[in-house]
Amino acid sequence: MSKFNFPFIKETNELSNLRKEVREFITTCVNNNEFTPSPDAWVFSADPSFSKKLGSKGWLGMSFPKEYGGHQRTALERYVVTEELLSSGAPVAAHWIADRQSGSQILRYGNEKQKSSIIPRITAGECFFAIGMSEPDSGSDLASVKTKATKTKNGWKLEGRKIWSTGAHLAHYMIVLARTSPASEKNRHEGLSQFLVDLSLPNVKITGIPDMTGQRHFNETLFDNVELSDDSLLGEEGKGWKQVVGELALERSGPERFLSHFTLLDSFINEFRNSLIYSGTKIVGKLMSEIQTLRRMSFSVASMLQNGESPETQAAFVKELGNKFEKMMIETLREFSNIVPLHEWPNQLQNLFEDATLRIPSNSLRGGTTEIMKGIIARQLGLR
Amino acid sequence: MIEELEIILETTSKILQKHVNHSLRQNIVSENTDILNLWNEIEKNGLPKISVKEKFGGYEIPFFSILPLIKIINNHGTPLPLSETILSNYILSETDINPPNGIVTFATDTKNLQIKNNMISGEILSVPYLNLSKNLLIVHELNNVKKAILIDEINGEIIHKKNFLAEPRYNIKVENLNIAEIRPIKNNIDFNFLGAILRSAQMIGAMEKVLDLSINYCSERKQFGRALSKFQAIQHQISEMAVELSASSAALSTITELGLSEKNSNDTAILKIRAGFAAGKIIAISHQVHGAIGFTKEYELSYFTKNLNSWRNDFGNESFWEEFLGKRFLEKNNKNLWEYLT
Repeated sequence: MSKFNFPFIKETNELSNLRKEVREFITTCVNNNEFTPSPDAWVFSADPSFSKKLGSKGWLGMSFPKEYGGHQRTALERYVVTEELLSSGAPVAAHWIADRQSGSQILRYGNEKQKSSIIPRITAGECFFAIGMSEPDSGSDLASVKTKATKTKNGWKLEGRKIWSTGAHLAHYMIVLARTSPASEKNRHEGLSQFLVDLSLPNVKITGIPDMTGQRHFNETLFDNVELSDDSLLGEEGKGWKQVVGELALERSGPERFLSHFTLLDSFINEFRNSLIYSGTKIVGKLMSEIQTLRRMSFSVASMLQNGESPETQAAFVKELGNKFEKMMIETLREFSNIVPLHEWPNQLQNLFEDATLRIPSNSLRGGTTEIMKGIIARQLGLR
Repeated sequence: MIEELEIILETTSKILQKHVNHSLRQNIVSENTDILNLWNEIEKNGLPKISVKEKFGGYEIPFFSILPLIKIINNHGTPLPLSETILSNYILSETDINPPNGIVTFATDTKNLQIKNNMISGEILSVPYLNLSKNLLIVHELNNVKKAILIDEINGEIIHKKNFLAEPRYNIKVENLNIAEIRPIKNNIDFNFLGAILRSAQMIGAMEKVLDLSINYCSERKQFGRALSKFQAIQHQISEMAVELSASSAALSTITELGLSEKNSNDTAILKIRAGFAAGKIIAISHQVHGAIGFTKEYELSYFTKNLNSWRNDFGNESFWEEFLGKRFLEKNNKNLWEYLT
């Protein structure tokens, strides 16, 4: 069991000061009506001008090296900034994926040209990314992707379809997982490669898919024999599986796995504070204990990333626990309507609640399902 | 000190590995020479006084740093009140009372306690391993002053004995029992918080064992032509145990690092909530995946799950600490939740 430790990491004064600085900035933005806090904002609420503003504050690509326009700050500093943005429901969806995983992926595996042309734009909040993993026939079984890249005289030809590509309609690039050679019978993980695909290229078609809330963030992205230059390959040919697993650790361990609906909880408590003192101390305490434990664990994973470790399993722990917490939180608030009926809640709070209720099924699907998380953990326990 | 602690952890593991087995746990009485031998070995290595000040013959390693030791003791399912003795002796030592040799158990709770002429009367409740112990620590509040009371010759009427638990527990009624030492406790020593931390660390040690037992059993036991561990339904249940356990361990390491102060008293509440909740899940799942064998006295799983059941109720259950947390936050009207949490 020792490999699943989450060592305690202290929030230093420097980190607390950074936290304060971000919080003041957000308060000013809210006071100037620059945005309305919204739930699940890292998926749904995109505002390129807000992203640019964060870039100019130095809060994007924080841990990227200075030579590529980054700020060479720690993963812990980035953690503090993302927590503040998430807990306030700020419109961060435009840059979220680029800042969270694509940038790091390019820095780790990319060639010089890829790094120098893209990283500075991510850091400035001017270059957005979509994830190119799922396909119509490949969801949890990611190694079964059929999108194919074949070598041509000048580079590669990309053919296939990616789906659920959140934000692809706003994104400039997608990191696409594709087959570059047939899977060997023994190991399906061989023969996959990652490509850095410019979404403005000819023969890329992006079609929106409204989700059950009626909003658009999902897309289907069709690559109809897209001509890619030679240096579109990200990392090593055939090593795509190993690369994508590392990318998923970045994707799964962050505070968005438990703070997606924090604005709802915050408004709920502010509204009902007085009745909660009499009839809700227990439920509030329960939620607080879960959030604090998750923050502890997620912060610990950030420090593992900082130390260059590969906390894929720990990330699965955080995601699994975080998803469960968010579902429990919505249920807890719903049960409170026994004390104050839902239709008597202020309109804005009713909306937040109903919105969250609609969105919550997606939290344990995106970024890997509950079943996949449990499978990863079971493997580490030696069960499979 | 870290090196010293590591040596102690290693030595303890060796001693427990050698002496503790499931048949020892079936016979926790003072006449059992194996129990006595184990205690003597433990005492010879100074473990009961590990957090006692040097001037009283202890190692003076801070109580919060030795929580990994508490985990090890209970990971081995040691059928002796060593964890209780370590905490009792720490409190006595911090109160400037020289801890006695031998086992020192404590009263989890009391009722109608009266103190007169250096004698004590009333009900002393949920005392673990009273049958092995001569010494007893009672923490009692008198006129807003908390006091540590040491009894060195327990004598009383047993009013309830819990036989179904793994560790023996007693409620006793005492009348004019002599007090060996009584002293006001320092403000920073809160018995309820320390008890909650102790029980949580014990639970985590035991839960690690329960997880290991479940993994091993499911890997060996075959049904429908394959090991149980190859069924996805089983894998997912065991993963859930690991998730709950890792969250509890994370909460424990906060206390191991920060200790206990007014500023971080919420961390104790979080730890006890998390560990108690995890214990509930882990008890249920471990029994489910073990099938009928886990339900027998002969197999060791139940020793651990029975203890988990009693420890999660000691020093405040999840509801108690949830209310504590919720109240502390809600009654401070000036902060919103996020400001408060950060």
